[in-house]
Amino acid sequence: MTVTARIVRRKSPVKRALLYVAVIVVCLIFVFPVYWMVATAFKTRAQAFSWPPLFIWEPTGRNFIDIFLKRQTEIEAITGWELELATGSEIFFYNSLIVTSGSIILALVIGTLAAYSFSRYRPAGTDTLMFFILSTRMLPAIVVAIPIYFFYRALGLYSTHVGLILLYTMFNLPFAVWMMKSFFDEIPKDIEHAAMVDGTHPIKIFYKIALPQVLVGLAATIGFMIINVWNEFLFSLLLTERSVRTVPVAIASTRGEVGINWGLIAALETLYVLPAIILIFLLQKYLLRGMTFGTVRGV
Amino acid sequence: MVEVALKNLTKRYGKKVAVERLSITFPDNSLTVLLGPTGAGKTTILKCISGVLTPDEGDILFDNVSVLTIPPWKRNVAQFFQTYALYPHLSVFDNIAYPLRERGLSKDEIVRRVKEVAEKLRITYVLDRENPATLSGGEMQRVALARTLVRDPQVFLLDEPISNLDAKLREEMIYEFKRLARELRQTIIYATPDHFEALAVGEQIAIIKDGRLVQQGTPEDIYYKPSNIFVATFVGSPPINLLEGEVKKIDNSVIFQGSGITLDITDIVGEWIKKVSEDKVVLAIRPEDIFILREKQKDLLKARALVSEPLGHETIVTCSLGESEIRVTVKGFINFNYGEDVWIKLNKQRIHVIDAKTGLVVL
Repeated sequence: MTVTARIVRRKSPVKRALLYVAVIVVCLIFVFPVYWMVATAFKTRAQAFSWPPLFIWEPTGRNFIDIFLKRQTEIEAITGWELELATGSEIFFYNSLIVTSGSIILALVIGTLAAYSFSRYRPAGTDTLMFFILSTRMLPAIVVAIPIYFFYRALGLYSTHVGLILLYTMFNLPFAVWMMKSFFDEIPKDIEHAAMVDGTHPIKIFYKIALPQVLVGLAATIGFMIINVWNEFLFSLLLTERSVRTVPVAIASTRGEVGINWGLIAALETLYVLPAIILIFLLQKYLLRGMTFGTVRGV
Repeated sequence: MVEVALKNLTKRYGKKVAVERLSITFPDNSLTVLLGPTGAGKTTILKCISGVLTPDEGDILFDNVSVLTIPPWKRNVAQFFQTYALYPHLSVFDNIAYPLRERGLSKDEIVRRVKEVAEKLRITYVLDRENPATLSGGEMQRVALARTLVRDPQVFLLDEPISNLDAKLREEMIYEFKRLARELRQTIIYATPDHFEALAVGEQIAIIKDGRLVQQGTPEDIYYKPSNIFVATFVGSPPINLLEGEVKKIDNSVIFQGSGITLDITDIVGEWIKKVSEDKVVLAIRPEDIFILREKQKDLLKARALVSEPLGHETIVTCSLGESEIRVTVKGFINFNYGEDVWIKLNKQRIHVIDAKTGLVVL
């Protein structure tokens, strides 16, 4: 931190100006696709395809209305994919929301309890178990995709909310356990000892003393888990039919065959990205903590 | 209040033995100081008594009843932690009130007792602070102390409770602890590495080294009758002077010879001379039992003054005597020049003789 600050300070105004220009250019490159997505969401089909591209146009809200309100009967040019997308897309949002929140709550509860136990009671084989937990994330997802598909078919979990929630919980548990353990490890033991001597039962110590001190850790962990689940594509594609489909798969399945209604897709994407952006904006300082966790021990 | 007794207490951290077969009794209604250097095992002992650590062997008795099966949250001891261990998410008031709330006291009673203890420790002005992390070190220590003293337990365990306070407040707190012990008749176990504090506060002092009890007794016993070289050197400031040498019998008198000096110690020869395993001994004498004179007199040892450190009520003079350096305290303000010749007189009745081989004080 201080090193970069010193370097910047030493630069001449001209160099600094150049530096800012470079930063702005890089930012533009990264932000442009996002801009284009949002812009397209507010364009009609004709505007979206006009050449040269329109940078000034009269925005339309039609796409957003279509996503939720356009019913099958209203659709003039019916093609398979448009039907899929344009008839009550709220179901996909609902699915995404249910699956994300369900799996995160589950992973957070189980993961936090496990992390606390590992941190405080260090049961026999803690290190081995911690490694085992992490190792479940070491296989590439595609390797286990087919077996899981068959499991789910056999167990009746295929295309159910519960099925996806369980799977995503399993995805997130290693994150939750590892991150929360590192946050619990940072709480001085004496504080819990003091609470014990002051007459608090260990179970009460967990939620009355320990938990309030890792709220930052909880926020960071939630942030990471949301990023994991909200964008998940492979298993959602593999394990769901329309009724349980999440937004990323729904968007992707609109592509193909005849023409594509980019405006509609862009609107859907914009809406889908919005909660993630808001959340990450709110959690950004905690996420940073989470990314550097373990590296600033003892501070 | 109860009498606390440890029986053969052993606690290991992995392979490291923190406390080894320690047997010690802390008398009912008195203040006992656990005195020992850092890492001696004082904190471990206190944590075993409060129950947050489980000893590997041995027993802990409160009034002759084992408390090992009683979990810490039911054992009813109050402990001050060296690290303060304040609850970071609670306000200062809530920190102090915490143990009372856990015991289900009424709201009025809690407010009354918190205010009372805060007044006693002079932290009323920080009671409404939301975040204890904003307190200074001394304030944190006093808040943690308040959280301990606000209770009404079977025994108080205090782990270096005043190490971080400024000198004036320390003196006041020492007085406060003594008052607490004498007036309220509480069983207090007080750990400190500071021998000054131990002598000032303690009704009993137990000296701990490497997890073992070295000596237990009144401050007077500890100061004037140290059991071995460790106690003799650990307690007292400036430290006790040590002179290494041999005991020799010449004609009818007994002579100490070594460190470049020769001293007739016939006057203090007693039973101990038979106990010394070899002839090699260490003479130990406290700085206040040495007199320093500017004029030569018969039977005095010649020395050279090196440094004088005036402290106001006394002056510490460091002299070179033979091959060793000794320190002498002199009443009042006095200044010796560097290299000035002085004459030293030892109060022979106050000399301790230490067996150089075993380190035990034989006289």
